[in-house]
Amino acid sequence: MATRSGNATALTVLSPIKHGTVGGTSYADIIRERCLRLPIHERSPLSKVPNTYLARLFILDDVFYESLPGNDSVFNFSDIFSFFSDQARRNALPKKDHLKSKYLVFSSNFYGDLDEYLAGMWDNWAYMDGGVQRDVRYIWEYCVAFDEVTDRDGFISYMKRCQLDASLFFNGSTDDSLQEQLKSLYLKQELTKFAVTYQGRSATEIQQAFRLFIERVQPENLSGPSWTPGQSAP
Amino acid sequence: MSNIAGKAYAMNVITPIRWYKVWINRLIFKIALNKPSTLKGLVTLSLIHYARWVIIPRNGFPHLHPSQPKENLSYAYMLFFSNFNGSWDQYVDSFTFAIPSGLDLFWKWNVRYPKSVPLTPFHCYIKHNQIDTAHYYNAYPMAASNDVKSAKKVKKALIDFKSVSLEKSPDEFFVDYNRLLNDLQSEFGEMRHTPIVSLSADAVKRRHLQSQNQ
Repeated sequence: MATRSGNATALTVLSPIKHGTVGGTSYADIIRERCLRLPIHERSPLSKVPNTYLARLFILDDVFYESLPGNDSVFNFSDIFSFFSDQARRNALPKKDHLKSKYLVFSSNFYGDLDEYLAGMWDNWAYMDGGVQRDVRYIWEYCVAFDEVTDRDGFISYMKRCQLDASLFFNGSTDDSLQEQLKSLYLKQELTKFAVTYQGRSATEIQQAFRLFIERVQPENLSGPSWTPGQSAP
Repeated sequence: MSNIAGKAYAMNVITPIRWYKVWINRLIFKIALNKPSTLKGLVTLSLIHYARWVIIPRNGFPHLHPSQPKENLSYAYMLFFSNFNGSWDQYVDSFTFAIPSGLDLFWKWNVRYPKSVPLTPFHCYIKHNQIDTAHYYNAYPMAASNDVKSAKKVKKALIDFKSVSLEKSPDEFFVDYNRLLNDLQSEFGEMRHTPIVSLSADAVKRRHLQSQNQ
């Protein structure tokens, strides 16, 4: 399936947003504002969702009209007929599409199984917003049929109804678990610092220091010293 | 708008395809999927964490409830999501200069796609069809895609070195240690905050810091 590449999974969710307003503000704009207000990096609620590599939220308000000049096979073909009538050229102009609903788009790249990941979203998505604790329901609150979601299984099934399969998923990174990736990054950082610090020292000195270094960084211990998800400062 | 999270940029592009050409795009993606060598150009660019293409048929937008109006579209749509390192210009230009034919093969079935060469119309096409991200999360804002890949090599080499060389005599240890550093020299590098590549992204960051401190 194109939605997976090894152990990495690409999740694409388009949740239609209800038509309506609260105090003159549309549901879509309320969701947009809530997404914009989400804390970033290590404080993002996604940092608490296990195994999230990279993820995003945005509102799809509408599709775009292709008004730009372009090299389009059908359009060029119509040029021949336009010698006789301008109708062919007009018919070949791009058509104007509009969406009837706005969509909340959630796109995530993560490690592992989809059900487990979605359960992790339901269980762990948490953040403070203006002193109030929020969970995942706060973002999806005004989406169509989301009021029927009352528990974890309901959330998993809702997200799957909104899911679209990828036609092609390209993994330019690794497909290791996030814990493994973060531990590796931590080790790379620490070993680089070690190499610089001990440059030019004697063999005995380096060996002694290296023993202490290994004790400190614990290379095989994934739950030991490491980077935290979303860590934005060394 | 928050297209940037640390060293990663989130690109979202939605473009129409005539419904009767969708099968060609799907076929090309299928070939690319089954013959990874066709994606060699993308691998060589090495600035992408993860990217994907999603085709939504004309009647493929999720419809969840009778109260939701059904979409009535003339075109199918292709969504492109990318997570890459560097600036927007660097990314788009690298496609044009490094893999123009591969890029054209993926997009040429889309309405009014101008081809990736020359550069200016291609820039206009992407800008015209791009949607800004409202919230972008990156599990390792300080790391580029190449850092993640090189870190994997560092970890393996370090564990191997620890088990083989740590208890050797100081002189033998020193020889192995120098070999380790020599082997890993292209994988090293200290990771830090990204420099400011976008004033708006920096403003988002400062706004969040300000709200955290209140």
